[in-house]
Amino acid sequence: MSAVPARSTGNAAERYRAVFDARSRSENTLTQLRRDALQRFVTKGFPTQRDEDWKYTNLRRLESRNFVPAEPTLGRVDESQWIADAGMRIVLLNGRAHTVLSTMSPQPPGVTVLTLGQWLENAPDEVAALLAQQASDASAFESMNLAFCDDGVVIEIGESVRVDRPIYVVHQWTGGAASVMSNPRVFVRAAANSQCTLIEHYVGAADSETLTNSVVTLDIGSGARVKHYRVQQESPRSFHIGSIAAHQARDSRYDCQDIALGASLARTSIVATLQGPGAEANLHGLFLPGGSQHIDTCTLVDHVAPHTRSNEEYRGIADARGRGVYRGKVIVRKDAQKIDSRQSSRNLLLSPTAEIDTRPELEIYANDLKCSHGATTGQLDATSLFYLRSRGLSEAQARALLIRAFAESILSTIELPSLRAHVEQQLNARFAASELSA
Amino acid sequence: MLKIENLQVKAGEKQILKGLNLEVKAGEVHAIMGPNGSGKSTLVQVLAGREGYEVTGGSATYDGKDLLALAPEERAREGVFLAFQYPVEIPGVNNVYLLKAGLNAIRKHRGESEVDAFEFLTLVREKMKLMQMDESFLNRGVNEGFSGGEKKRNEILQMAVLEPKLALLDETDSGLDIDALRVVANGVNSLRRADRAILMVTHYQRLLDYIEPDRVHVLSGGQILKSGDKSLALELEKRGYDWIKQEAAAA
Repeated sequence: MSAVPARSTGNAAERYRAVFDARSRSENTLTQLRRDALQRFVTKGFPTQRDEDWKYTNLRRLESRNFVPAEPTLGRVDESQWIADAGMRIVLLNGRAHTVLSTMSPQPPGVTVLTLGQWLENAPDEVAALLAQQASDASAFESMNLAFCDDGVVIEIGESVRVDRPIYVVHQWTGGAASVMSNPRVFVRAAANSQCTLIEHYVGAADSETLTNSVVTLDIGSGARVKHYRVQQESPRSFHIGSIAAHQARDSRYDCQDIALGASLARTSIVATLQGPGAEANLHGLFLPGGSQHIDTCTLVDHVAPHTRSNEEYRGIADARGRGVYRGKVIVRKDAQKIDSRQSSRNLLLSPTAEIDTRPELEIYANDLKCSHGATTGQLDATSLFYLRSRGLSEAQARALLIRAFAESILSTIELPSLRAHVEQQLNARFAASELSA
Repeated sequence: MLKIENLQVKAGEKQILKGLNLEVKAGEVHAIMGPNGSGKSTLVQVLAGREGYEVTGGSATYDGKDLLALAPEERAREGVFLAFQYPVEIPGVNNVYLLKAGLNAIRKHRGESEVDAFEFLTLVREKMKLMQMDESFLNRGVNEGFSGGEKKRNEILQMAVLEPKLALLDETDSGLDIDALRVVANGVNSLRRADRAILMVTHYQRLLDYIEPDRVHVLSGGQILKSGDKSLALELEKRGYDWIKQEAAAA
């Protein structure tokens, strides 16, 4: 220990060099990319609260752990949380595709779904080129993901192909091992005028301390529509970092429904880049920090092209000592005239020790546009509570109903009945509304 | 059925009710009138269990029970119903859901089974017809986007479905045009029965043309200053409240 790094965070990231070196990998196309990514990660270090994007989230606890890549495991798989009636299902067990649990065939015409391993075998140069391109402006966690990524999923939808049934990606942990991490990567490549729905479901295993550091990139071609549901149900002691980036061509549409329920510390970052005129991004989210959970969501909508639209609606419900963060940034570039951007953040605090920080932010360089944003944080309305109780409902029942009602505007954007029922069930369980079934 | 003795209530630092006495027997309809700020709304809200008031003295006994000791939902389950002056809009809570949850809570309290879905719908449809409400209201959020008149009708619809023993009506007539007033009054009258009592707060004699009271009380300065039959309301309409205040001051 000769040179002491100036930043303690640099130190924490530095430890992952040894983890990286300890992995015996055969050299392949990705080796150099991974080394470079590791170097970028170590140089950047874990973000600190001095970084504007991380102002409200302290990563000290995450840094203090020594996560090692999860090994392939034959541990018991708890399928009880899985959504039943999705279409194709790809199960990533501790970050690795599990072909037996997955149902990847038959694949509808025009649809190609591969594991990252399969894709690498088929088209190593293409994968390397794409990853190199994505690596250029990667964040610390995205770099960490590339350095340690074991597997992932590639979803390619051909031109004008419409996939009716959702493609379901389950990120499932099995219990047991201490302080393990997975770094899955999901690629969606939707060609012009195609349509598909992706469900990403992060399911933790009780009692294990895990780190999921996932990266999802969506390349949405002109006129294409991608609907992306994301349900995060990691275990109570776990860490979850999710980085989502959507690149949108002309007249494309990206809808993201982001439901954050689990983990001890969770951070989701969503970047939608509206590169072509007429592109539209709709980001909806619901986050429920309870206990001593910390759930942070950071969105960035970048209006690069004129005539683009974005609509963000986030709701947070914090209970006990839960802490939520919503930071929504909208950039309107100089030539992006006639854009329409709306943002709403509404938050509900159910206990005096709960906290939600919300910060809408606009960065505008154009002059002909419509932008609106609003943020509120409050408690359950006393008059509404009294009204319901005066009709015979118990206080618990009335509270649960009002909480449900608060979440309704996000729940109603979940078009898949089974998924909606699943999320509602989680919500009801959280707020102990056994009487709700009255 | 309801006996209020020397009731004293504070809201914040302000003493609103200053020793109010009132007895309402089963089968009776009582009207409480009085100038603005006299404590009319406070009285019914306190009886329904609204928080934010402090009872500093006196009692309210309902069916032999200490009403003020019960939680709002316990009062409702025991048969007390408050029709709000300003019904609350609760988007995201379905109207029909609330009706059913309320009815089931009351039935459960009485040791009865949950209402059968078909039976419930028949009951609700019948009551909606009475209140001249369109069935589309059922699947909307509670009072969400309802006009003033629709909200008041919805209050009486809830009352008709929940069938309380003691109905408290807080200025149910305010903001109603004459047709809506007739419908609302009709709904209230349909509930009049020998084993029920109604206590209504109103500013206007007009309501009493449609819902005929057995007793009329004048509440002023936190006390009942005068009680009489329905002719008292007519007299108030003509002469205002000042003569009653003077009479009380002289006594």
